Amino acid sequence: MPASATLRLQIERSLEARFPAALTPVPRTIRETAATGIAAVDELLDGGFPVGAISELVGPSCSGRTSLALAFLAERTAEERFCAWVDAEDAFDPESAAASGVLLEQLLWVRCGGAKKEREKNWTRLEQALKATDLLLQAGGFAAIVLDLAGIDPTEGMRIPLATWFRYRQAADRTRCSLLVLGRASYAQSSAAMVLDAEPMRLEEVGGTMLHAGAFALSRRRQRFPQQWNNARKPPTSTWTASAPWAVEQSA
Amino acid sequence: MSRELYLAVHAAEFPAQVLLRLRPELRSQPVAVLDGPALQQTVCALNRHAKQRGAVQEMTRLEAEAIQDLQMIPRSMAEEAQARAVLLECAAQFSPRIEEASQGTACTFVLDATGSERLFGPAGAMAEKLRRAAASAGFRVAVAASANFHAARMKAASTPGIVLITSGEEAMALEKLPIALLDLSSEQAETFSVWGIQTLGQMAALPKNDLVARFGAQASRWRALAAGKASHNFQPIEPTLELREFCEFDSPVEEIDALLFVAARIIDSLVTRATQRSLAVASLAVDMRLEGGASHRLALHPAIPSVDRKFLLKLLHLEAAAHPPQAAVLSLSIEADVGHASKMQLGLFAPQTPEPSRLDVTLARLRAIVGEDRVGAPELEDTHRPHSFRLRALHAANTASASAQPATRIALRRVRPLRPIQVMLHGEKPKSFHDEGRRYLIASAYGPWRSSGCWSQEAWDAEEWDVLATDSTGAPLGCLLARDRLHNAWRLEAFFD
Repeated sequence: MPASATLRLQIERSLEARFPAALTPVPRTIRETAATGIAAVDELLDGGFPVGAISELVGPSCSGRTSLALAFLAERTAEERFCAWVDAEDAFDPESAAASGVLLEQLLWVRCGGAKKEREKNWTRLEQALKATDLLLQAGGFAAIVLDLAGIDPTEGMRIPLATWFRYRQAADRTRCSLLVLGRASYAQSSAAMVLDAEPMRLEEVGGTMLHAGAFALSRRRQRFPQQWNNARKPPTSTWTASAPWAVEQSA
Repeated sequence: MSRELYLAVHAAEFPAQVLLRLRPELRSQPVAVLDGPALQQTVCALNRHAKQRGAVQEMTRLEAEAIQDLQMIPRSMAEEAQARAVLLECAAQFSPRIEEASQGTACTFVLDATGSERLFGPAGAMAEKLRRAAASAGFRVAVAASANFHAARMKAASTPGIVLITSGEEAMALEKLPIALLDLSSEQAETFSVWGIQTLGQMAALPKNDLVARFGAQASRWRALAAGKASHNFQPIEPTLELREFCEFDSPVEEIDALLFVAARIIDSLVTRATQRSLAVASLAVDMRLEGGASHRLALHPAIPSVDRKFLLKLLHLEAAAHPPQAAVLSLSIEADVGHASKMQLGLFAPQTPEPSRLDVTLARLRAIVGEDRVGAPELEDTHRPHSFRLRALHAANTASASAQPATRIALRRVRPLRPIQVMLHGEKPKSFHDEGRRYLIASAYGPWRSSGCWSQEAWDAEEWDVLATDSTGAPLGCLLARDRLHNAWRLEAFFD
């Protein structure tokens, strides 16, 4: 046995009462990921959004959050999986989803903020969205759920109890569901396996007459289960582009 | 050829049994069922506890009211009709040939069980199974087995429990039964009473010729019946599968929970009946008669036929909570449509999908939270009118039928309801706009993209601009502005995101 291995064994044995396997690396947990279909983003995310965990996509308006979420759902529905969009602001655009390739018959859209009857409890949009997400996560069977809080004021979102996010994390893990939260700020804190910051870069035009594409920046703020130990060379920020639906139609 | 075998199923005091069947809380109390016009009501049926308190049939309402703690319930012919169908279904599990022999307030069916011994065992075991099946449906019945149709019928009507009459010993089995079991007129019964003839055994012992000389040819049949030798031309009835249960409440029910308490028993009974035929409940139609003459209807359509009682009850609970009756409920009727229980082949490598029955409950709960028509799978309508889509029910069985290819596109975030804005124009192009108290300078505007349609009715004529703007802090904003050309009104339609 080499001297270094012997030395390590001796040290570990002397410390085993306090630190089990002190000098042996902890076995890595390989987390399953689901690709977004955007090469630059998938490279940044080490394969895609984690399955069975919460991911947060944080950014201001026009930062490409919705486009990225729809691209992700398009990939998931193409695999004959069911997805859900919990729409706290009622801002979901089915035409954009269809243009992104989302199979609408496999997408459950929950439009919060509906008029309630007198005898029913009057929940706010945020409360409705949280309850709906809870039900969908507990029901299971959905490969991805997008909780769209992009229109919710961050001060309101910050009031969501951490216990709620913890429960979501447990349920997502149990049902192997990717919960993607869109917001202006990060709300899930330690329950989130991944937090991404989205930023707008520029919108491109064609000949000054038509909007052609948008370029967006994405940076990784937090990743709980990195797939590679040594990724210092990898830039934490990536840029990606999305074309306008009509630009594609024109070229086609 | 196997010898004949008839099984008679006799449910005595049927009106009382029917009413207590869906009201188990009353089973330990004395109960009498009243029948007749309002001021001339008499007791037509009663349970064992009522008999012990001294109540008897034909007792007037006033006399019945004098008995302490006696619960009096009006007779419900509708419930009796449904219960009769249930008892008939129970009997049909053992033989397809059934004849009804009900008399008075009792409900009696006679089964031709000839040749069924191989399926259900000997007559005694078959009678026991039949009695258990009836008990599980909520009926207390007497069962008699005999090779003679009438012997079985009369023995079941007069003896509780299970009685087996050995072939050739019918006369002995019937000898102590009262002659009231024969269809005698009051005059004939009085004559026999004067003669001191009280039992069938005494009747059978009378000389045939003398009896016929006094009462005519019918006397010969009485004598044969009394001796257990009367022949019978079996006239089978066809039991139709009608999964319907009805319950009329003694007093109007206002609470949904109380309603569900009864509905749970009804669903339980319906599922049991469907299961006995290897079927499942495909849909439930719930009809309620309300105070004031109105009616209320709920329809439940599970994604797949189910035999899960809790699941069906939960669906009904959520549906009733979403659409509560507007007045107290007087009666409840539930009718089930049946289908074949689904069989799904699962695969180890197949993608996960929501469990259909669980998805039904989840969707119902979601509808209760966000409102009706706000949950479902979006479907685009075939029109150029903006915002044209509808929501349809999400079905877990749906898989990718379309051939859409995933692509990276700029998405829109719609503003609902549309926000009116003030727009400053430079020529025809928008130059700046005000939204919610903030001013946005437009750097680039692409358009106008015009669309119009439905000129004959509900016409629209819109002009859209894709706009890149900045606010006072310099933060960029991409949005979609639209001008309603019919009313010359600007509004903020969506944001690029």
